[in-house]
Amino acid sequence: MSDTDEEKIWVLQSRDGHPEAFESLIRAHQRMIHSLTFRMTGSLADAEDLAQETFIRAYRRLDSYQGTAKFSSWLYRIAVNTCLNWRQRELRRDQIHTQWTESNAVSQSEPDTNKPAGEVQAALMKLPAKQRAAIVLTVYDGHNHAEAAKILGCSETTVSWRVFAARRKLKRLLNAQGGRNE
Amino acid sequence: MNDSDLDKKLKAAPVPARDEDYWESFPRLVSAKLRLTPARRPMVERHWLPRLAWGGGIAFACLVIGFALGHWHGQKQKNDPYALLQNGKMLREVQTLFPNRVRAIVQDEHGVQLVLADQPDVPVSTPIYVRICDGKQCSSLVTFSGQELEIAGQKVTVLADAQGGVIVAGNRFAWSSDRQTGASDGLKIEAKSLNSTTL
Repeated sequence: MSDTDEEKIWVLQSRDGHPEAFESLIRAHQRMIHSLTFRMTGSLADAEDLAQETFIRAYRRLDSYQGTAKFSSWLYRIAVNTCLNWRQRELRRDQIHTQWTESNAVSQSEPDTNKPAGEVQAALMKLPAKQRAAIVLTVYDGHNHAEAAKILGCSETTVSWRVFAARRKLKRLLNAQGGRNE
Repeated sequence: MNDSDLDKKLKAAPVPARDEDYWESFPRLVSAKLRLTPARRPMVERHWLPRLAWGGGIAFACLVIGFALGHWHGQKQKNDPYALLQNGKMLREVQTLFPNRVRAIVQDEHGVQLVLADQPDVPVSTPIYVRICDGKQCSSLVTFSGQELEIAGQKVTVLADAQGGVIVAGNRFAWSSDRQTGASDGLKIEAKSLNSTTL
């Protein structure tokens, strides 16, 4: 039985009210969703909140899942939209961004032993949320621009522009950080 | 730096690792939240036409029963919109899912939140229902004696005494269920022990 077949069964069972089936779906996708939400927020705590919110929304919308697309793609779209819509968390993101900029270090609750990783995440956090989503989708998760456009609900041209603008800004930011470290 | 160099640099930044316990408990945490939050997911109706007649009949019966029950309990429902928190079955289910880790179940304008301890060190005791209003918003919760929580922007400690009384202590106030007074800062507090007869 392929993963996809197994997933279809879990989806059907979840619709019929079997929580253990939905937990299986969560187990299968939780790492992917947490990676996305962390890249989008830069905070482990916010990433956890958004991952929870994603799965809760997904459960409530299971009836709208047609089964024509991969479940992971459908779930991913919910996660991206959840990240983009979570305004309150965005305010906290800005605070984290400010802390990073000022102290050039991550918060005490989330010690970062990997400085280059912290710099990359800090640079990502300086992008507008939609540009950041475009980079996460295309660079980290390997979606092409057409797939990213479907997930983000915009045109392929818009995605291409966002990726272009994000790359330009990231290069500038990371070059500047590299210069400071030398 | 060209695009390829940038991609390499971006991909070299890993997402912070979480331990296996986290991944093991996360699906259960989501499940618990789904149980705590009222279901809004519509049921799939695969064969709706044959069921329409039954549905109509049942709906009419429900309407009659609902009207009768509503007439009886309407006032009680109005006074107690947070009945979910005082649902003993729900509380026991959550405690079974997270033994000795449930610090509180909080219900406020944002919905229902589960507050869990990092370690399974929350002692078993009689649950306590607390409702705090600060003039703008209200928060209700079920917790256990000795728990320190942040409610309505205030850090409070909830305590139960041997007689079943409840004390809610904050930085600048202490409220007791015996006297029903003592709150300050514009707070309105209501609290009671949820013993087996209440639940």
